[in-house]
Amino acid sequence: MSGAPPLNAACKNWSRRAAMRLAGIGAVCAWAGSRAYGQEVQKIRFGLTPVFLTNDLELLDALQAYLSEATGYQIELITRRTYQEITALLVSGQLDAAWICGYPYVHYRDKLELVAVPDWNGKPFYRSYLIVAADRDADSLEDLAGDIHAFSDPDSNSGFLVTRTLLYERGLDPDVFFRKTMFTYGHRNVIRAVASGLAQSGSVDGYVWEVMREIEPELVNRTKPLRKSEWLGFPPIATSKTLAHSHRIDALTNALVSMAQKPDGQRVLDMLRLTGFEVADPSVFDGIAAKFAMLRGVL
Amino acid sequence: MSVLARVRRLPLTIRVPAMVVILMVAISAVISERVLDRLSKTQETYLQGLASAYLDGIVASITPSVLREDSWEVFDGIERMKPTADDILPVETVVTGKSGLVLASSNPVARETLRPLDADFAGKFDGTGVTIDPETRSGYVRRDIAYQNQLIGAVYAVFDVSSLLRERWQILVTLLTTNALFTALLGFVGFVTVSRMIRPMQVLETHMIDAAAGSATLIGEREFPAANSEAASVYRAYNALVRSETERQALARQLAEEEKLASLGRLASGMAHEINNPLGGLMNAVDTLRLHGERRNVRESSIELIQRGLYGIREVVEAALATYRPERLNRPLAEQDFADLKLLVRPELRRRKQRLDCSIDGTLEGERNWPAGPIRQAVLNLLLNAAAVTAEGGRVGMQIAVTAHGLDIAISDQGVGMPEPAKSILTDRKIREVPRDGSGLGLWIVRKIADDLGATISVSSETASNTIVRLSIPRRISEISNAA
Repeated sequence: MSGAPPLNAACKNWSRRAAMRLAGIGAVCAWAGSRAYGQEVQKIRFGLTPVFLTNDLELLDALQAYLSEATGYQIELITRRTYQEITALLVSGQLDAAWICGYPYVHYRDKLELVAVPDWNGKPFYRSYLIVAADRDADSLEDLAGDIHAFSDPDSNSGFLVTRTLLYERGLDPDVFFRKTMFTYGHRNVIRAVASGLAQSGSVDGYVWEVMREIEPELVNRTKPLRKSEWLGFPPIATSKTLAHSHRIDALTNALVSMAQKPDGQRVLDMLRLTGFEVADPSVFDGIAAKFAMLRGVL
Repeated sequence: MSVLARVRRLPLTIRVPAMVVILMVAISAVISERVLDRLSKTQETYLQGLASAYLDGIVASITPSVLREDSWEVFDGIERMKPTADDILPVETVVTGKSGLVLASSNPVARETLRPLDADFAGKFDGTGVTIDPETRSGYVRRDIAYQNQLIGAVYAVFDVSSLLRERWQILVTLLTTNALFTALLGFVGFVTVSRMIRPMQVLETHMIDAAAGSATLIGEREFPAANSEAASVYRAYNALVRSETERQALARQLAEEEKLASLGRLASGMAHEINNPLGGLMNAVDTLRLHGERRNVRESSIELIQRGLYGIREVVEAALATYRPERLNRPLAEQDFADLKLLVRPELRRRKQRLDCSIDGTLEGERNWPAGPIRQAVLNLLLNAAAVTAEGGRVGMQIAVTAHGLDIAISDQGVGMPEPAKSILTDRKIREVPRDGSGLGLWIVRKIADDLGATISVSSETASNTIVRLSIPRRISEISNAA
């Protein structure tokens, strides 16, 4: 697993598990309500971005039921279309916690605190895939010149930052290298765009691509990874620094980390194809941070 | 022969069903055309409504995305809006932007994103309505996308109209099958009906043909149709006609017989006279024998006288018997028959102090062409008629000529000329009926005998007071045995 950031050693009592769903990952309990902070002390507002599974509602119900049971708090799941919306709600304190991407976490690291990081195949890492049509004869990034390229989200690490950094490293301007780029706001959408031919290539979350290959093989098998990135920190569950170590967040962290030990939690993990959650060290996201730093001032 | 003439020669049982079939085919064609035309319009209206609903939804959904030229959102909108429950589904949807480039397509491989729309494809869309191309079994419809009264793009949708065309085909097949079955059924019903309708006429036709051939028979009760009162009425009328004709023929035979008897009556007195004359001589001879029979010369002369008298009586009797018992005369005509006729009319001639000029040209020896009985009857009638119209002391002629063609018998008189009605009876071939008043019955019998023998009769007058009736009998083997 080259390129994987070091695992977090300071883990309180929780084992880490990463959970993520979907293409968009960034989940966040976006809580857009106008109620004053502190009035909903018995409620945890948990934000999510769109999920990639076809039975999203079933997953949301199972997740909500498990977290409510495990934390003792009422869980309010709030979904938004983009990472930007969720991140903004989280940073502004309108969400108690949210499942976001590593990129916005790195971006707002001074304002956010990790709650837990999902484990995929036992580790809190994943990769970004550069995908093309399955029958396309292409071997390298250079072969993609002139493509219509599909990104997932401008705030997505795997769906934008990785490819953007790759181009930057090679001195390429995406607006020139590609004929056109588009944001589909979902990793599944990137796969759809490439599979259908709307786009000739795309940047997608490797975890999503692999899981969806089991779930929707007829769709995913029309694409193939042209390039896989190094291992990078899995999209984490984060909270604002002001809420960190509050009772609610502690309860949430505990519930996430102990998810694999409980049948209801394991059912959620099975849906997500994750092995669990862990309390990871922020250094897990150093790889992403490096890319972010590389592009600082460019984007 | 023209087609029309050939058709007219077909039996009624074929022509009427054929007309029914032709009429049904024509009606079927008109109805089918109207149904399919109506169906076509209904389908187009339905497709138009469906397409409009689809396009309305698409346009409302993607207009903001088109405005931003966001290919993904347009593509996603197309995907999400694709109906799955209808029979008629959009198989391809293409959205172009303001520049005319393809923003997104349901089939991006065929309509590449951000490339100009294929001209051939765009050419299939005509106007705002649905254009159906039966070859590709597709319907093409286009809708402009406007925003704030400005054209920002267009949607091109292609619908699979196979189900509509299949429905049309199924209805056409159903129509044709149903109409063909009905046409065949009506044709069969027409054939059966007409056959049943004209069957009474066929029965009548058969009987009338038999009647024309001379053997009219009644239509039996079993042949009467049970439920066809009109045909039964015709049958009854025909049977009444046959009975009437049969009775009339019987009456004619009776009249002929009576005429023959009347002729016999007229002859009887003459014959009695013929017999009576020698009887007086015979009685005298008997008396002479009784008184002077011992004398040889007296005895021999008396016996000679008696023999001649008896010969004369025998001739008269035999001639009468030969004429009025025709079954004895079913033999060829001989010259002796004319001698008999002279003998038969002699009493009438003598009574009227008339003379008979008789001659025979040629010989009847060995001739077997002509039956004696009917010819004797016909000639006797003509001779008696000639004697009747000739004044007392006049002359009646009978000239017989045997030629290579046949037998000519000319009977002449010295009357005032034959009246036209009597002449007509002999010569007018249109008159074949028995004279209603009984007058001219003898001549009618002559005519009937002549017809039976295939002979011709001519009436001519050398002078105003000299009429010749000529009976020309062709040479043939006659089987007539009971003509008289």
